[in-house]
Amino acid sequence: MAVAEQENPLLEGLELRRTPEPCALVIFGASGDLTKRKLMPALYSLALRRLLPERFGVVGVARSAESNEEFVARMEGAVREFGRDEFHQDVWDSLAGGMRYVSTDFADDEGENLVAASLRELDEERGTEGNRLNYLAVPPDAIATLVQEIGERRGSGSWSRLIVEKPFGRDLASARALNEQIGEHFDEREVFRIDHYLGKETVQNTLALRFANGIFEPIWNRQFVDHVQITVGESIGIEGRAAFYEQAGAIRDIFQNHLLQLVAITAMEPPIDFTADSVRNEKVKVLRALHTPGPKNVVRGQYGRGFVEGEDVPGYREEDGIASDSMTETYFAAKLYVDNWRWADTPFYVRTGKRLPRRETEIAIQFKRAPHPPFQETSADALRPNVLLVHVQPDEGVSLAIGAKVPGQGMTIRNVNMDFLYGGSFRTGLPEAYERLILDAMLGDATLFTRIDEVEEQWSLVDTIIAGWQRDRQSFPNYPAGTWGPASSDDLLHRDGRSWRRH
Amino acid sequence: MSVRGIELELGRLRRASAAAGSSNLRTSVMTHLAWVPQEWLDAARETLAGLAERHPSRTILLVPDPDAEDGIDAEVSLQCFVAEGGAGSVCSEVIELQLRGRRSAVPASVVVPLLISDLPVFLRWRGRPAFGEEPFGQLVATVDRLVVDSEEWADPASAYVQLAGFFERVAVSDIAWARALEWRRALAGLWPGIAEAGQLHVTGPRADALLLAGWLRSRLDVDLGLVHTDAGVVEAVKVDGEEVARPRVASVTPSDLLSTELDRFSRDSIYEAAVEAVSSLGFERGRRSV
Repeated sequence: MAVAEQENPLLEGLELRRTPEPCALVIFGASGDLTKRKLMPALYSLALRRLLPERFGVVGVARSAESNEEFVARMEGAVREFGRDEFHQDVWDSLAGGMRYVSTDFADDEGENLVAASLRELDEERGTEGNRLNYLAVPPDAIATLVQEIGERRGSGSWSRLIVEKPFGRDLASARALNEQIGEHFDEREVFRIDHYLGKETVQNTLALRFANGIFEPIWNRQFVDHVQITVGESIGIEGRAAFYEQAGAIRDIFQNHLLQLVAITAMEPPIDFTADSVRNEKVKVLRALHTPGPKNVVRGQYGRGFVEGEDVPGYREEDGIASDSMTETYFAAKLYVDNWRWADTPFYVRTGKRLPRRETEIAIQFKRAPHPPFQETSADALRPNVLLVHVQPDEGVSLAIGAKVPGQGMTIRNVNMDFLYGGSFRTGLPEAYERLILDAMLGDATLFTRIDEVEEQWSLVDTIIAGWQRDRQSFPNYPAGTWGPASSDDLLHRDGRSWRRH
Repeated sequence: MSVRGIELELGRLRRASAAAGSSNLRTSVMTHLAWVPQEWLDAARETLAGLAERHPSRTILLVPDPDAEDGIDAEVSLQCFVAEGGAGSVCSEVIELQLRGRRSAVPASVVVPLLISDLPVFLRWRGRPAFGEEPFGQLVATVDRLVVDSEEWADPASAYVQLAGFFERVAVSDIAWARALEWRRALAGLWPGIAEAGQLHVTGPRADALLLAGWLRSRLDVDLGLVHTDAGVVEAVKVDGEEVARPRVASVTPSDLLSTELDRFSRDSIYEAAVEAVSSLGFERGRRSV
């Protein structure tokens, strides 16, 4: 065999990094908060760790009038302010050298010509070879037009991919319509629907916890698990996103995507491998198996005036841009059932809300109680059930609540937590979700992105729940800011003899 | 101090630290032994200072002093770091043992009772290992991985011969090997043009030059000659007179390098083959260094 045809023997053992092919990242909506707070710091962190391709460039596209230099300077400020790493001027200079900014209306042909010219320039100067990763950080109504513009201009002999921010549509019909429009120019494997929760280390660690440890999977089922509680709590309000939030509400903003993805990851069967389709096949089976909750098993809420972290905060209807009679929910809770062999009759209580006492996302697996305490001084009721708690944010980690003897003569049992904090055992600095997701999209790995059938199942469930609300007018506001939601949310669990975890 | 005394002192420190206010997590991912002759002590402490935060562990520094009167002196401390998110602190235990007189000849008997059960044990041996001597043999038999830095050795070629004799007994990491990773990547990028290379010229530390040459010989199965020009770091590499494009090498601290090695668990067969190629083929004799 000729040498050139032989496999390179020098590569063995080199632990080849996952380095993407040369490409240009085009950020549509580059003047927005996402670019400043998340995308640019993520790119910097990737550059610092030398995970970006050597031949790489960024084109920022937005309506705001800004020169190249102003854009680069603003992004440098953003990296310094929001980045997780120490700022190194040489790393930034190298990244900024391939940075361009185009001020244009998205639907403007002339503007698109300018974008195309910038990209050609990057191909020539930085060797990005015509490969494009198009990040659509734009409002949902701008996506279709953009996709058409990008699609019509995509070249041959190179790749072009789309990253689409959530929400993908606002109901099943619009999601399908949007997908059809995208499908005219892009294949499913070229579309990366982002749900940044999936990029979080702890969410991925939930898969590791379940499928890399022999002790959990045998008890991860209806026989041993009493119920599951998933909380996505936010202490902030709507942060100036009134127009978006009035259209979305908690159910579309969080439940449809983050919460249902957490349910899917908690309940899914073991995939045969960790490839995109294997993982997503298992997740979508869970979403299909979700039993639509009836009106009694759904709670809506809207916050009124109250106190969060000592601050007097206005009610939702008092926020700028919100109608004084708004019926948008800022809190949503539901009891869900996964109708399959593993989880039949095991409730999954989920909740999300704004202006809750603290920012906290966690998955709590509550196991059944020990059947009989052999200790005279301890009644069966006093024995607390074991809880496996997966902290998704802010402190990523896992803890297991177990009963332990209080030191002394008697046999008093108390619950103690065994904690595994990510920041404690692996102090390598957790990558931000966007670092992982941008890199994966450059590599064409869609494992941590949502596939269209998942999105459709999620919307299908949401549409059915919302349809029930048309006949049921709530009295809002029904919880003060700084509390854990309306009383009816507690009733949801009390009816079953359970309660939300105490925080 | 006795082993029991060390354990008691650690317990006391943990309680005192917890009583000071924050909730402290005792987290360990390994036991990290370091054999540190006196002349390496400052460098070792500096490396450990940058390491404990990344690898919470029980670190046991063994400082031999064979000429002193028999005995063991122990210093025990907790190194606590604020956990990410600010929820309490994470604490690592550091035990520094001065092994005086005959105690320095039997380090395993001191160390074994202090190992954390079921966790991997790494041994960082500072300087050239005393291959044929009792302490080295004892500790190698106790640990899962030996970490050396062959750049610390005055005569790496002869030491590699002896090191190769331990490959069946313990997995070995060499920080010099890790340091040259980007140069290996750069050389790998020359395939297939490099397939029949005849001469390698390395301007850099002796150990790096030998390892790169040994690696190419073992992987390419060619009779490669080595020309070596001494320098503090690898500055240039030429293959058959052609300069290899200098790779982008991120600046890394000794702590970074050691930290990476502490994440490895399996044997590195490519490194072992490179060392064996150095030791069996004898570059020193094959080519004169310039």
